[in-house]
Amino acid sequence: MRNLKYPDYPDNKPGRQMLRRCAVLSALFGIAAFALLFARLYKLQIIDHEKYEAMAIEQQLRSTPSSTSRGIIYDRNMNVLAISASVDNVYLSPAEIENYGEDRELIARGLSEILDIDYDDVYEKTGRRGSWYVTVARKIESEKADQVRAFKAEHGLRGVRLETDTKRYYPNSELACHLIGFVGTDNYGLEGIEARYDELLSGTAGSTLRATNAYGTELLFTQYEEYVPGQDGCDIITTLDSTIQYYVEKHLKQAVEDYDIQNGAGAIAMDVNTGEVLAMASLGGYDLNNFLAVSDEAQSLIDAAESDEEKQELRTQAQTRQWRNKVLSDTYEPGSTFKIITLAMALEEGVTSLKDSFYCGGNVSVLGRTSPIRCWKTEGHGSQNLTQAVQHSCNVAFVNIGQRVGAERFYEYCEAFGFLNLSSDPDANLSARTGIDLSGESGSIWWSKNTFCSEKNLSQLAAASFGQTFTITPLQLVCAVSACVNGGHLMEPYVVKQAVDEDGSLAYEREPKVLRQVISESTSRTVRETLEQVVGDPNEGTGRNAAVSGFRIGGKTGTSEKVSLEAQTGQKEYIVSFIGFAPADHPEIALLVFLDTPSNASGIYVSGGQMAAPVVGKMMADILPYMGVEPERNEAETEAVMPMTMGKSLDQARKIIEESGLRCRTIGNGSTVTNQLPAAGSSIAANTQVILYLDAEISQDIEYMPELTGMSYEKARETLSYYGLYINSLSTVTDAGKQTVNSQSLPAGAELEHGTIVEVTLVDQDESMLGKY
Amino acid sequence: MRYDSARLADFSDASAVKQRSVFDGPFFSVSMLLLAIGVIMVFSSSYARAWYDPGNVTGGNAAYYFVRQLVFALMGIAAMLVASRIPMELYRRYAFSFLVFTILLLMLVPVIGVKANGSRRWLGVGGLTLQPSELAKLAVILSFSVMICRAKGKMRTFRHGIVPFAGILGLIVGLLILEPHFSASIIILGLGAVMLFLGGVSLGWFAAAFGVAGGGLAVLLTFFPYASSRINTWRDPFSDISGRGYQIVQSLYTIGSGGLSGLGLGGSRQKFLYLPEEHNDFIFSVVCEELGFIGAALILCLFSMLILRGFWIALHCRDRFSFLVCSGISSLLAIQVFLNVAVVTNLMPCTGISLPLFSYGGTALLIQLFELGIILSASRSILEK
Repeated sequence: MRNLKYPDYPDNKPGRQMLRRCAVLSALFGIAAFALLFARLYKLQIIDHEKYEAMAIEQQLRSTPSSTSRGIIYDRNMNVLAISASVDNVYLSPAEIENYGEDRELIARGLSEILDIDYDDVYEKTGRRGSWYVTVARKIESEKADQVRAFKAEHGLRGVRLETDTKRYYPNSELACHLIGFVGTDNYGLEGIEARYDELLSGTAGSTLRATNAYGTELLFTQYEEYVPGQDGCDIITTLDSTIQYYVEKHLKQAVEDYDIQNGAGAIAMDVNTGEVLAMASLGGYDLNNFLAVSDEAQSLIDAAESDEEKQELRTQAQTRQWRNKVLSDTYEPGSTFKIITLAMALEEGVTSLKDSFYCGGNVSVLGRTSPIRCWKTEGHGSQNLTQAVQHSCNVAFVNIGQRVGAERFYEYCEAFGFLNLSSDPDANLSARTGIDLSGESGSIWWSKNTFCSEKNLSQLAAASFGQTFTITPLQLVCAVSACVNGGHLMEPYVVKQAVDEDGSLAYEREPKVLRQVISESTSRTVRETLEQVVGDPNEGTGRNAAVSGFRIGGKTGTSEKVSLEAQTGQKEYIVSFIGFAPADHPEIALLVFLDTPSNASGIYVSGGQMAAPVVGKMMADILPYMGVEPERNEAETEAVMPMTMGKSLDQARKIIEESGLRCRTIGNGSTVTNQLPAAGSSIAANTQVILYLDAEISQDIEYMPELTGMSYEKARETLSYYGLYINSLSTVTDAGKQTVNSQSLPAGAELEHGTIVEVTLVDQDESMLGKY
Repeated sequence: MRYDSARLADFSDASAVKQRSVFDGPFFSVSMLLLAIGVIMVFSSSYARAWYDPGNVTGGNAAYYFVRQLVFALMGIAAMLVASRIPMELYRRYAFSFLVFTILLLMLVPVIGVKANGSRRWLGVGGLTLQPSELAKLAVILSFSVMICRAKGKMRTFRHGIVPFAGILGLIVGLLILEPHFSASIIILGLGAVMLFLGGVSLGWFAAAFGVAGGGLAVLLTFFPYASSRINTWRDPFSDISGRGYQIVQSLYTIGSGGLSGLGLGGSRQKFLYLPEEHNDFIFSVVCEELGFIGAALILCLFSMLILRGFWIALHCRDRFSFLVCSGISSLLAIQVFLNVAVVTNLMPCTGISLPLFSYGGTALLIQLFELGIILSASRSILEK
């Protein structure tokens, strides 16, 4: 073998040039190149360190919002109106699914089975490249969520995730829907209190900040995690009284059905002394738990539509309509109910008094109008004092009263009552809002000052005196009338009293706010007394159908013609309304009912007195006892209390019965009363024929409730007592022969035992009562 | 190869000078130190990807890459020791056979190569993969060294100093471009230039070559939008953070996050799948993030020491061949380290160059350690002072 150890020749050493070049190279590669790299690293790691670190951290940390619970909405008696429960959303992270190569078909199959949704839809979502968040199902109940979790764990799936969400429940479904409002899928309040108080209700969402890998998956071990606590939403206590709301809605719905109301109806109940809204209803309503669903009627229209576009448009229209809170979003001409305001300002100004007298010849000429203004009673009311003018709702008298106040003073009072805000521009149309704490409030619409206060044309003032030619919201009227009867204080209306945070401390509190005193206490008293005569006077009061037996109620009717609609289409449409308050001597509640466009075919004369007044009467009959207002015995003794006659001799019994204002008939042949109908202590109509049993038993036969509606009270009483049933009227009985039954507490055909007492309400449909007042 | 026994006899007269029988200790120690740090960094940088296993490679075994790298490192040390025991004469003798073998392998690559990321660069050998371009680098060093020794004084002529070298380089680079594998082409061209520079080629040729390269680059940038968009991405990677600029931006985040002292060994956050190639071409970014400027600078110092020691050994070699081989391997090491760090710090446009002794990749590591072993072999012939 050759010597491999010393392979080269001595003269084969690297030459001088080679060594020189090698030295250059080693300096270049071993020192200069590294110096450059050091400089570069110094720049990146020391000089720009913070910049790059911040950018890196921004991408490494992911913030997961932690849900906070939305506050509960209570009514004034702490009944729950809206409450949230915890649910889950299921979402996919297609980017993770792709990056980790998860089985898309498996995911789609599993989720579509558990959640009962379309397989193809889920499969398509799993493949949305580059997306981190695609929702598969929203607001699923915990049972389903657990199944999804189990499915995830079983297959070790990444990219299928759940997040906590909340779902809103409204225990009373439809009750006070417009007032409460609802939340959208993202839990933002969209309507009503939910929308207006969203910030308080929703609280502040917390978040968890944690370091994740590039696919959004948690790190192997937690390197960094920061929890930013959220704040739960406040509970809100409203001024609403669920019971009053229930009564109001019940009677309003009945009225819409009875009168075949075409264009919806509304009602507001307000505490006259504080401005607290006790009830607020707009029909037709909707179920808050399913606020997207429209009424059956609207749904059938939608189903009938041909194109999808048309369907969608009809649906949107129907939804918008049902969500609209008419009592504050729509304006209308208040008609005769506004005479309260004219009366109050005239009394306060001293331009009229109770001693004043007015003559109505059926019409009155007004400067600036070609034709005279006619009173609803074309033959005229003749000579009348102020109280009678109000009782009669006489337009002629009120045109006169309005002119005495004068256009400018009239506008100043309208401003004081909150109907308009005067402007420095005399040609500007005027408007105002009540400032209630609800969204969607519309402003009133009034003529400009120049138009209204023209010296050459008094027609605007004349029409405004009885509530036409301007429009206001129903809410504005309730506020102003409350001021007229509560001693003159205009209160700011509100629906939320308090908000309580998660620790139980008050986060918000609202005290009643007096905006201003518009009229004096004594003027207010006169207005109350006058208005009580409108309801309480059985002979002259146009509001007598609102009278409730045992309670003192004041009020005013209104039948407003939709003048602009008639001008446009020639169609005569009316809004009939009634605003009442009780008790008349120290009012606690004001109640406005308006019915937009009743059908002429309902068989009932279209007017506030015939349609709206009885509704207010029925509501008052339920609400006043609930509010604890003590009924007073009425003087006319139209009611009697059944005495105890059992064990007495027939003669003795007869005598007691007669003394109680009742009549009797007997069944059996004994000489002693062994039983009686009705039971002792029952309140029934005076002059009712009761039954005394002489050695006989009460028949156990079942009786069927007869239809009473439309019968006179007297006839109804006799009809019932024939069957051994008894009647009691909630309405004040003024003339049992003339008043007819308007509603009965038990429906016709109901199975009854002998002795049952049926409550009815009455209306007076006297010829003289039929008019557009 | 012909062998001149007369010359050898002359040389044996100098046997009075004591011959070193062991290899160079400092060079070996620094190599081992860098290798150890490298293997540890492979573990630290790779375990997140190995655990999450987005490509379904590791089966969720966090130590997957580490264990493989460790096995190759141990095999590599063995290869290094073997190489250090092979006399330089044998390298010289088989240099051309090796070159021919390498070129054959390179020719096979476009035909039976394993395709990945749009390129065929690997040959599959019994479950392992091999980049023939790695072998080509060594083949160029060895064969050029032999050719320079042979040419002697004729290196300054065009015929002997340029033509044969340019022919070999042209063939190899042509084959690499077929794959395509530009970064290896650049390294081999650079390596060729270094060898010719050491061999004594006139500096005028280098000036001419730089001129031609510059012109070619200008043409490339003007007529190939792909190339110019690469340059734009390099100049402003933040203009397209989620697209072309993603990789380099992530690398800058990673390096910048480290600061002076780093997040600590194992503390990288960017390795959690943000930074692509984190245990591979971009492993140095993770080093910077975890060990900070201090750690990165120390590692670069170790590389610098290794390279300088390699040149020192070259300068002390007693024969021209050993000198050329040692300088070549040291230069190769320097070129690779410089290019890798320059790329990850965005000093240069992004291209795939691995960091010797650090980047994951078994056969490449094996070859690198073998190359270092050749320097150790040469170091045995150095005379002790």
